[in-house]
Amino acid sequence: MIISASAVKNHLKCKRFLLLSGLFTFLLFTQLSFGQTAETEANFAVCKACHTIGGGKLVGPDLQGVTERRSEAWIIKFVQNSQALIEAGDQEAIQVFEENSKIPMPPNNLTDDQIKDILLYIESGGKVAASEVVVVETDETVASQETVQAETPSKSVSGRKDIRNMQITFFVLLVLMLISLFDLFVTKRLKAKWIHYIIILTALYIGGEVIFVEATSLGRQQYYQPDQPVWFSHKVHAGQNQIDCMYCHFTADKSMHAGIPPVAVCMNCHNQVKSGKNTGESEIAKVTEAYNNRKPIEWIKVHNLPDHVYFNHAQHVEVGKVDCEECHGVVEEMDEIAQVEDLSMGWCIDCHRTKEVQFVNNKFYEQYSKMHEKLISGEMKKVTVADMGGEDCQRCHY
Amino acid sequence: MKKNRLIRLSVLVLMPLLLLSCDKDKNNTGYNYMGSQDMYYSKFYKAYSSNPIFRDSMTNQLPVEGTVARGHMPFPYPGATLAERAANQALAGVNVTNPLKADADILANGKAHFEIFCIDCHGKTGKGDGHLFTSGLFPAKPTSLVDTYVQGKPDGEIFYVTTYGSISGLMGPHGSQIQPYDRWSIVHYLRELAK
Repeated sequence: MIISASAVKNHLKCKRFLLLSGLFTFLLFTQLSFGQTAETEANFAVCKACHTIGGGKLVGPDLQGVTERRSEAWIIKFVQNSQALIEAGDQEAIQVFEENSKIPMPPNNLTDDQIKDILLYIESGGKVAASEVVVVETDETVASQETVQAETPSKSVSGRKDIRNMQITFFVLLVLMLISLFDLFVTKRLKAKWIHYIIILTALYIGGEVIFVEATSLGRQQYYQPDQPVWFSHKVHAGQNQIDCMYCHFTADKSMHAGIPPVAVCMNCHNQVKSGKNTGESEIAKVTEAYNNRKPIEWIKVHNLPDHVYFNHAQHVEVGKVDCEECHGVVEEMDEIAQVEDLSMGWCIDCHRTKEVQFVNNKFYEQYSKMHEKLISGEMKKVTVADMGGEDCQRCHY
Repeated sequence: MKKNRLIRLSVLVLMPLLLLSCDKDKNNTGYNYMGSQDMYYSKFYKAYSSNPIFRDSMTNQLPVEGTVARGHMPFPYPGATLAERAANQALAGVNVTNPLKADADILANGKAHFEIFCIDCHGKTGKGDGHLFTSGLFPAKPTSLVDTYVQGKPDGEIFYVTTYGSISGLMGPHGSQIQPYDRWSIVHYLRELAK
């Protein structure tokens, strides 16, 4: 009984656990970092607009290991007034300026000690430090959400094992409950009434959970992984061969659809490569045959949204700069492609509320320049998709 | 009475085993409310669905021959067959020039597309040492894009090969995958790469 209950609630529990751990980290960090680094964090919030710690280049370079690359005295001068340093003819500064598309770093009114604190803060590490900032700055609920995002690894197919088909369980429990109800009131064969109560209560509890879980997944198809007409492996192509997603799904940044590649794209390599790692020649032969007969392969669509929702890949990939992995999971580890997210409306909205808009080098958001100015001046701490109407009904339903 | 209790106990023991035995079917999309009667999955032809109206039963149709899409320049040097390619590649090199100017934006665009479409075979530096070749997956050595053989060719010819593939047939046509604007950007980026 205990096993079955935990099986039903597995993914609910997972959320609760993350929420709890989020709360825990919140408490931990407020204790550790109170007073001492709060000021540094507030100062670094300005830097964060253009720099990351270990998160790659944004406008300016990644700051991880910056203290090893440059001297402390040089960094202090550069942070306080980079333009002055460049005009003075400092070779290092000119090089940095030119490496970063000649976008000047604005001068900062910080003392030497404040900058040293920031450097210590950068040294103390990338992602942990970044989530500390978030945790202290925002209120509790947002904080736990953010930590959930940071801690949840990208999903893979193995998650399907946690969700089981509960149909038989449900009916067995229903029958058991009816039998014990019947015995309790009519036949009265069992004298120990507590047995009836235990059976009825557990059946109600588990049955209720099953109904709740099944009802929420109505119309969703998480972990749908259909058998495709050709045994194509993303693990081999995207993982081992390191081919970019957009080599095959080349309309993802231009069209509503990410695009199913025509067989001609397969033939770019498979006119030479005739034998595969997993299946030998049998599967590639199907592709060659389809190409020679000019008959497209009928792939089965995995990610289906209901028709009353509009979704556009170009808007998310080109404008929103969302990684494929954020919605499709770790595709390069999947032999057979599966839907790993539930693609529910709550899931969409969660991202629209937390995803920060990337203004830099983004022509689409030039029309929102006022918000960008507010962000730079500090009037707004961050601009999310929701701030630009990403929560409006008619954005996706029309 | 005792028998009854035994049955019940055995059911209780078997239940967890029953639960563990049934996975969700990976081929099943599950249930949805109202299904195809509702707006959930309405009956219109989607981009990739089959279509009984057209002879090739595809919803996505090729543009009618001789038409030019908005914002596109016609490129009148066909390369469907080997004979056409042999004749037209040099012709395109002479007659067609790069319509783009190599500024920072174009070069960045070229780099981005180079690193999606070219890097697998020709490598990050363009020397023909891409991962697909160095790992032994693709048998033929890709051409170096920074040596004089390719760099000596005019822009139009490089554009032509990107569009229709090489005459040797080792490089496939990439015209359907890369838009003309992006192809011309890549040509600019190749010149930059050789510097």
